[in-house]
Amino acid sequence: MFFVQALGNAPVSELPGPAPPGEIAARLTFQGEPPGSLTMRVTAGAARSIAADFLGEEQETVSDQQTAEVVCELANMICGSLLSRVEGATTFNLEAPRIVPPSEGPAGGPWTTVYTVDLSNGALSVTVTTETPTCPEPAQSAS
Amino acid sequence: MAYRILIVDDSPAMRTFVRRVIELSGFELSVCFEASNGWEALDLLRTEWVDAILTDINMPGMDGQQFLLRLSEDELLRSIPAIVISTDATAHRIASMTSLGARGYVTKPFLPETLRAELERTLGVPCE
Repeated sequence: MFFVQALGNAPVSELPGPAPPGEIAARLTFQGEPPGSLTMRVTAGAARSIAADFLGEEQETVSDQQTAEVVCELANMICGSLLSRVEGATTFNLEAPRIVPPSEGPAGGPWTTVYTVDLSNGALSVTVTTETPTCPEPAQSAS
Repeated sequence: MAYRILIVDDSPAMRTFVRRVIELSGFELSVCFEASNGWEALDLLRTEWVDAILTDINMPGMDGQQFLLRLSEDELLRSIPAIVISTDATAHRIASMTSLGARGYVTKPFLPETLRAELERTLGVPCE
């Protein structure tokens, strides 16, 4: 749906901080077991390209508002798809995604997973933070 | 025969995309209405007839679940088939929306042919 070509995994050396200039970040929280949040960051140029493909428009005619809407929708889809794969998933309720201002840092939480992928025209990262592990540790067998 | 469709989603980008996908899929589309939540959709349905409804679940104001419930409670509107379009692919959610009256379910992301097939199946369009 988004016609994005991923070139491969990008190295993750540390948890991402606030989105630097030239990046757009969207975040949504979810309630369920466990509750948490997903933050997606994408290079501004890549975001506009993705939005143009999604809307069937030329990049030059896509507005900042439209780009923000598409970025939010992409974050929504990634989050929903991820949560649907949680083994034994209960019903998750996703809040509406929102664009995160550059000054706002990453959502805190004890359990955080970061995944970054290089795109042909930028990079995209997804940070998932939950209050408890998504998959509980297996019980130790008695010896 | 060309069909009248109503798209209900709080994301303008998603409404644009769904309409575009329907058009690109070759589905016989006559008119495509849009609403940003269940309330707007019900207002529109007071004056316009549609052949099928495509609805999101998570929407402010009136969400997809409440919207389906309202449709099922209306003698006239309950005959309009509703297809849910959602990121939630869990069996629990699909069963829940089906029990509320959804006749179809499409999980995001989806291919154009998937949406067209679900529309045609729901509307009883004969296979070519």
